[in-house]
Amino acid sequence: MRQVGFLVDVSRCLGCRACEVACKNYFGLGETQRYRRVSEVEWQTEDGIGLFYLSLACNHCENPECFRVCPNRTYRKRRDGIVVHDAGLCDGCCTCVKACPYGAPQYDADTGKVDKCDLCVSRLDAGLRPACEEACTNDALKVIFLDRIDETGLLKSVPTLPDIRITRPSIRFNPPVVRKQWLSKK
Amino acid sequence: MPKVFRNLCPRNCFSTCSILSYVENGKLVRVSGDPAHGFTRGNLCAKGYAYVERVYSPERILHPLRQFPRGSGNWCPITWEEALETIARKILELKGRYHSFRPVGFCKQYGNMGLLHYAANALFDGLGSVTVTEGNSCWSAGLDAYLYSMGSMEKPDPEDMVNSKVIVLWGVNPAWTAVHQMHFIDRARTRGAQVVVIDPVFTATAAQADLYLRPKAGSDGALALGMAKYIVENAWHDHEFLAHHVEGYEAFFAYLTSISYDWVEQETALPVEAIKEVTELYALNSPAAIWTGLGLQRHTNGGQNVRTILTLAALTGNLGRPGAGLYNPSMTPWELFSFYTRDHVISRHPVEHRRININLLGAELKKTTDPPVKMLWLAQRDLFQDAHTGSLRGALEDLELIVQVDQFLNRSSRYADIFLPTTTQFEEWDVLPSYWHHWIGINEPAISPLGESKSDLQIAWDLSRKLNELSPGICSFPTAGKEEEWVAGEFNQEVYSRLEIEDYRELLQGPRKLKWPQVAWEEMKFKTPSEKFEISSLTAASEGLPLLPVYSEPASAPAAYPFRLMTPHSQSGNNSQFLNLPWLTWGTGEPCLRINPLTAKRLGLSNGARVRVYNQQGEIVFPVKLSATIREDTLVCFQGWPGSAEHELNDLLNGSPTDMGSKGSGRPSIAIHDTFVNLCPA
Repeated sequence: MRQVGFLVDVSRCLGCRACEVACKNYFGLGETQRYRRVSEVEWQTEDGIGLFYLSLACNHCENPECFRVCPNRTYRKRRDGIVVHDAGLCDGCCTCVKACPYGAPQYDADTGKVDKCDLCVSRLDAGLRPACEEACTNDALKVIFLDRIDETGLLKSVPTLPDIRITRPSIRFNPPVVRKQWLSKK
Repeated sequence: MPKVFRNLCPRNCFSTCSILSYVENGKLVRVSGDPAHGFTRGNLCAKGYAYVERVYSPERILHPLRQFPRGSGNWCPITWEEALETIARKILELKGRYHSFRPVGFCKQYGNMGLLHYAANALFDGLGSVTVTEGNSCWSAGLDAYLYSMGSMEKPDPEDMVNSKVIVLWGVNPAWTAVHQMHFIDRARTRGAQVVVIDPVFTATAAQADLYLRPKAGSDGALALGMAKYIVENAWHDHEFLAHHVEGYEAFFAYLTSISYDWVEQETALPVEAIKEVTELYALNSPAAIWTGLGLQRHTNGGQNVRTILTLAALTGNLGRPGAGLYNPSMTPWELFSFYTRDHVISRHPVEHRRININLLGAELKKTTDPPVKMLWLAQRDLFQDAHTGSLRGALEDLELIVQVDQFLNRSSRYADIFLPTTTQFEEWDVLPSYWHHWIGINEPAISPLGESKSDLQIAWDLSRKLNELSPGICSFPTAGKEEEWVAGEFNQEVYSRLEIEDYRELLQGPRKLKWPQVAWEEMKFKTPSEKFEISSLTAASEGLPLLPVYSEPASAPAAYPFRLMTPHSQSGNNSQFLNLPWLTWGTGEPCLRINPLTAKRLGLSNGARVRVYNQQGEIVFPVKLSATIREDTLVCFQGWPGSAEHELNDLLNGSPTDMGSKGSGRPSIAIHDTFVNLCPA
């Protein structure tokens, strides 16, 4: 089965949030809508500080909870695996918002409807890259065909990502890297 | 199909992006980066992508307003005519009362760096001698360190960083403040370069580094001295280079023998192994570049610390060659432009204004007499982004008229009487160079001015017209004009030939790169008295500073306030700008105070606990976020805490002056990172 998804290189993400706001700019999103969200993840390692930034949009899951729970059948999984939402049919009940483990569906108080990342299907169809990927200065974000890539060295999850077993998200990660640090005199 | 226009981001930022603006039915619908711009390469930053929201924000002020009474928040619309008449009559009344224009104060900073925005400066030049603020809180101490060492602030083309074998990012976080540079740093890395980050905070840039060092804040000079000592001891210095191009290295070598590695360890809190590792990397991998950040010079010893760091390039001959060099903002390419707007009056009639220190504005306003300042024109600036904000309140209350020219009300607006709405870059003509890269674009109007907003140039023309109506001949600034002609006036033959164009309109097809040296100091003829790189500077000595880059102790925490509070830039704001936009802030959580987990444990604080942070100047209440990215003696709050009428983060900043700053900027800067506080559970 064809499955389009995202490859996020957390060792390269700068946490600059350009992807997140480029998406709002491209779609003219409402004040409270974040189709893509960047968060900071810090943990302790034996080698020092672990710090990476996690940029997440819709993960276009293999088993999308939004699709399963929506009472109005506003979600559809395309043949290429992209999960699209028809906001025209949405009555803003937010069942999907509560069900999605990743916070992908976003309610807009102005329109009273939910919408989410559609992986820029109209741009992909026109041969363009998604707005977020295009805005990334450090090549940390890429669209991939999960059915075609070699997953050697890639991770299916990283710290703070909610449990992936329920929905099987179409996202892969290059692992975080901790390099040489001198933090203080022992 | 939308129409596409070219704009420039005029913010105080390294990248000075060219923006493509998409307009449908007269409305800006979205923006994108400009692929024709060789430095920004088609990308904007998060702030740049938020411009549509900034232009059409419901909070944006689109009509002249009057607040009565001051501080009430009771802002009522007035006409431009009423506003201008009130202001002009006040200026004339003050002139009559004091026989001088000096009661008129003018304070403008870098909210919009466009060359046409100097119109306000020229308007007040047109009156004669007024009171202007001098200095800035930005880069003054580090700038002076460069001026003493090399005579002028020249730096390589930042695209040349791809040729470096080692890149030392010292006290700078380009991942958040100059994101486009990260592409060139990354290209150098793919060619084998090693990236070093030296910063008291483990930043997003530090996470990208091959080697990270976390010295105590303000100890950078001691670290650089340790590095210099290790270079000389190992004879890794460049004899030939020193002999021909460096002044005073013998005396510096003698000074280096007087310091010990134990002392360096004690000052920096870094082990000697770390100092040796970074030194070996820098000294043995040529060419190597150092970027001295603006954060590192915001200490009471910041200027001397930068001077010491600069010697590392002189010792190793890392100057004047591709891939080598010292990086800092530089206004040199700006000087090519005509400054037609800024110098409109003074090129014909020089004016000597009374100058007061912008970094001590409250105290300076209070003590200025004969005549006192009675009116303030405040442009592109939030006064509450600096230190000493407590003393500012009383001083502002004493003024008879405060006029604010901006796009949004900000914390200063509590004290303003009249608010004049200005256009954004999408609604006006302008041009501005970059203080970092060498690309020049043009800014054309993409949409009509929103509401009744006017460009700074139009406001200056209009006020001059009103003044001259009331008192013919009182202001020599023009009373009308055509914006595009003033843009044309900023260009000249030299700029055209360096851009290889014949007319500024050619830039509407895309930005062009100035023919400008890729490498600074290639001729090795420094602009110092000795024409050498001056480690030993008689100029510095004659201006009351040490002859050599000797170490001066950083400000240390007093017993009552054991924590250093640092307030660096976030990725979502540019000083006081952008952080009012939901696109950049909604969902990102309340601004918090970062605290080392060990400190938190000692104080019994867990994530999200609210603490009262205080010192002798004020207090604020925050939630804490545990983070090992900072030392145990340090607290970090990124810029953007919104503040309230009673409490401002900046109330805590004591604003001691930096050791340098007067040479290049007229005044010392603020040692904003030498702020000490205590905290307790709220």
